[in-house]
Order: sequence, then C-alpha cells, then structure tokens
Amino acid sequence: MLYRRVFQFFIIYFLFISGLMLLKYCLGLSDYVIPALSGMFQTLIAEYSQYSFATLNTMTVTVIGQVVSVIMAFVIGITGRQSTWFGSFIKVAAYNIQAYPIVALAPILFILLGDGFLTRLLIAAMICYFPVLLSVLGIVSKPVEDIEHFYRVTGRMRWQLEVKIRIFENLSQLTTVITGSATLAMAGTIVGEFIAADAGIGYRIRIALYQSDLAKVLIALFLIGITIAVYQALLELLGIAIKRAWTGR
Amino acid sequence: MFYADQGVKVNDKAQKLMLSAFALFATLLFCVGGVHANEKVTYRLKWLRNVSVIGALYAESHHMFEKEGLDVDIKAGGPERDAVRELELGYADFGEASADQVLRARAKGSPVVVIAQLFQVNPLQWMYRPEDGRIRNLSDLKGKVIGVTYGGNDETIMHTLLAEAGISGPEVTLFGVRYDYTPFYRHKVQLWPVYRNAQGPIISAQLEKAGEQIAYLDPAEFGVQFVSNSVITESRTVAEKPELVKKFLSALLAGWQKALDPENQGEVIKTLQTYDPDTPRPILEEQLKSTRELVQPHLTVVIGAIDEKGWAQTEQIMRTQKQLAGEVDLKALLQPVNVSFKKGQ
Repeated sequence: MLYRRVFQFFIIYFLFISGLMLLKYCLGLSDYVIPALSGMFQTLIAEYSQYSFATLNTMTVTVIGQVVSVIMAFVIGITGRQSTWFGSFIKVAAYNIQAYPIVALAPILFILLGDGFLTRLLIAAMICYFPVLLSVLGIVSKPVEDIEHFYRVTGRMRWQLEVKIRIFENLSQLTTVITGSATLAMAGTIVGEFIAADAGIGYRIRIALYQSDLAKVLIALFLIGITIAVYQALLELLGIAIKRAWTGR
Repeated sequence: MFYADQGVKVNDKAQKLMLSAFALFATLLFCVGGVHANEKVTYRLKWLRNVSVIGALYAESHHMFEKEGLDVDIKAGGPERDAVRELELGYADFGEASADQVLRARAKGSPVVVIAQLFQVNPLQWMYRPEDGRIRNLSDLKGKVIGVTYGGNDETIMHTLLAEAGISGPEVTLFGVRYDYTPFYRHKVQLWPVYRNAQGPIISAQLEKAGEQIAYLDPAEFGVQFVSNSVITESRTVAEKPELVKKFLSALLAGWQKALDPENQGEVIKTLQTYDPDTPRPILEEQLKSTRELVQPHLTVVIGAIDEKGWAQTEQIMRTQKQLAGEVDLKALLQPVNVSFKKGQ
C-alpha cells in the first residue's frame, strides 16, 4: 500500500511536470516563468536539506493537529449526536466556526497567539476537523437497529456501548475520512505558515514566491506530496491494523 | 389599378424603410468602428490602485491614453501578480515591476526590458522613533532590532547596509515582519520597513495621535541605491511596435507629470478618493507629497528617467548576495524611450 501510494504520487507529479514542460517549450517561455528541468534539479540539490527539514516541521504540526481535530470531532460528534438542546447548541457552534474562512481568522490568531507552533497547530486542527466531525455525527447519530435492539430490550444499552457499536459498524468509512482529512490538515498547516509563521514549508514557499522562484515552489510541492502520500498510506495501514485487532480478522 | 397603386406605395415605403435601415446600420458601423479604432493595451500594475500608481490612474481618469489612440485596460497588481510573467504569457502588454523582479527574470532568460523608471528614490524605507536615537551613521544600527520581510527586497537592502557598516550577525537582531505592526507599536522592534509614500503617512498619523514622532532610514542616503518600480514590456514589443511603446509611455508619463504637479492636487486627490474613499484627505495629501519627492526628487530630474548607476548597483547587490545566477546585460535590459508630450497633456 505504501509503495503503491508513493508510486502513484510519482506518476501524478511527473505528469504535472511534463505538462509544464510541454507548455514551456511549446510557448517558448523563459526559465523565469517555468524553470527548466536542469534548473529544478539544481534547486533540489541546493535546497533539499533545508526544504526537507521544513516539510518535516510542517508534518509534525499536521500530525498533532490532526490528532487534536479527530479528538475534537469525536467529543463534539458524540455530544452533539443527541437531539437535546445542548447537542443542537454544540452542532451550531461547530458549524459556525467552520463558516468563517481561515484566511480571515488566521491573522487574528497570529496576533493573539504569536506566529509559533500553537497557532499553526490550531489552524491545522480547525481546517481538518470539520469533515471528520460530519462523518462522526453521521455515524454516531444513525442507529444500527439489528444489534442495538438486542441491548435495548435486555436493558443493557449505555451510551458508550451505543457509540462503540456504531463506530465498529462504520470503521472502514471512518478510516477513509480520517485518511482524507490528513490532506486537509497538511493544507491548513501550510496556509497558516504561508500567512504568518516563521517556520515550515509554507513559510519557505512564501519566501520562494517573494523571490519569484518557481523551481523552489515545485520542489516544495514535490516534498509536500511525497510526505502526505507516505502519511496517508501509514494511516490506512493503521486503520487496517485497528480493524484486525478489533475484529480478529 | 387599385392594387397596382397600392403596390407602388408599398414599394416606396419599403425603399424608404430600407434606406433608413441602411443609414442606421452605417451609423452603427461607424460608431462601433470608431470605438475599436483605439488599439487595445493591457497594463498590469505592481500593486493595488493607490498613490504609488497615481500617474497611471490620472492618465486613465483624464482619458490621456485615448488621446494617444489607445484603449488601455489598467489592471491592479498584488502579491500574487507578476507583470513579467504576464508579459511572457501574453496577458499584458506593459507592466510595472520592481528591479529585483526584473533582474531575476532577465538572468533566467526572460525577454523583459525596462522602458522607464517610475521611482528615482526607493519608497521602501525603515521607520523608527527618533527619541530612541537618530540614525546618522550606519553604525548606529548596532544593537537594534530591525524588521525585515524574509525573502523580500528589504532583507536584501538591509543586509547590504549592514555589510557596508561592517556590522556582523550577532550585533543586530533581524525580526521577520508581516502585515501586523504591533511589534513596532510595542517598541519590540525599533526599525520597521514601510513604503514611505503609502504606509508611512498613515502610521505617522497614528503615532502622532499617541504623541510619538517617526523618522525614516533611507538607504539611498547611505549610498545604497536599490531601484524600485519601473515600466516594463517585452523586447519584441519595443522592436516590432515602437510607435505603440512611444504612445503608451507618452500618455503614462504625462499622467505622472500632471498628477505630481501641485497645481492639480485637488483633482489628483479626487482621483485617489475614488479608489481609496476611507483614507482621510490630509493623509492622501501627505502621501501625494511624499510620492512627488520620490518620483521627482529634483525639478531637474525627468519623470521616468532610468538611473543606470542605480541599476548597476542593484544588480551588483543581488549578485553579491547570490540572488542572481549570472551577470545581467544592463544595456540590453534598459531601453529608455524618448517621449514627447502632446499639447494639452
């Protein structure tokens, strides 16, 4: 799975680069508009170490941000699944936060919390929690009648058991959503870094854009892509391992 | 008979109707043809529509391009816009770009050329509070916390100033700046980079309310000339359409000349207010005054003149800081165009 994802990413990236090269040579564009392959290779050699560390820095924030967002989504989803006043209030609050564009909220966060780790983490978590929340809400609000009926009639049903049954029955769907949300967490972190942080690959992209250096941006995209491909593959493997441990299959 | 007479009458009517229709069609064709007689040109600004591009705004609002037979579409710039790229991709015919942008592009084989230089003095300067000590020599920068935009040309200029002063890394602290001025307001950072003509008057007015004064560190006063915004086009346009280049530049520079003329201040402020209605008039006046000093520091300076020495120094600075892959042929890059202003412009 890991190799397949990385291989697939290589295909996508090289198709993208091939498209750019086709455009460059068909339109006779200079290296300033679209860098030549040799220029990209030189940039890769020159910036590899700095950009790799920046990507790892971003990835660290992404992983922690995603863990926070999954926890947030589960807490809000489980609390908000009930059709009580509090449940509905939680849902409204969660939806409202999502309605504000992050580019509008980010500057406020950076002013209040500074441009360090915490702000980037919060932005990553805010961007990726919503799709997870929607899935969790959908899953934990929908009864699995066949199984739940037994526990209800025998009077053994508790909320923990209810949540457990519903999550267990929809584990594949949940794994897919969590894996997909990794991309959003990464994008959120990069947006945050791009706006105001002083570290990470988003910050490096901002500097590269100031210097109109597209080769650096393309190298950054390569490193972001490959990192996220590996991370998503690992999440999928983790999902399979959890399912195996839980079901014994 | 009756039918024949009626037929003649109908024919007359039809003839008159056809004649009228033809006349109307011809008039329409003439009018439409008249509108399209002006050559269409796209001009990409470096930044948003504000005082830094007042010459273009004035020329546009006073139909100076039309008088030259041009239909110019002025497009606002911004951080995500790059006039050099747009020229190559055919999205723009002329544009505004900073010298570092142009030199980087040229070093990478872009066919961009500079046809006029708008700012003779770079508006990118550092504001500071004189009460913390005036900066009379570059050595006064020692021990200060200085704001720079990492990757921006203010970082390049500051490194040059520090190198000129022989100040090494640990003797100053560089602070990464962004849109939020709080670190400067809170005295956390002593020198903050601003566009003197655009942001300077706004911040100065705010600090004056708090009883504080600001002064500016102008790198040019310490011998560091880093050229700012210029008018650019493609070398092919200069070679193949010299008349178009001349017409465009004549109108644009006439716009600048009129906009900077103190006699036209009222009209210029009105033009600025259409794009920036929220900025109070006194600040707009201050912005205009500051722009005047940067575009035409002395009356002997011709608006749009290319400062070749300044370009040579800019190129040298960028090469020293390894921001250019190789030497740039400035003779090929700088192609000043002799323009004459028409009567009434």
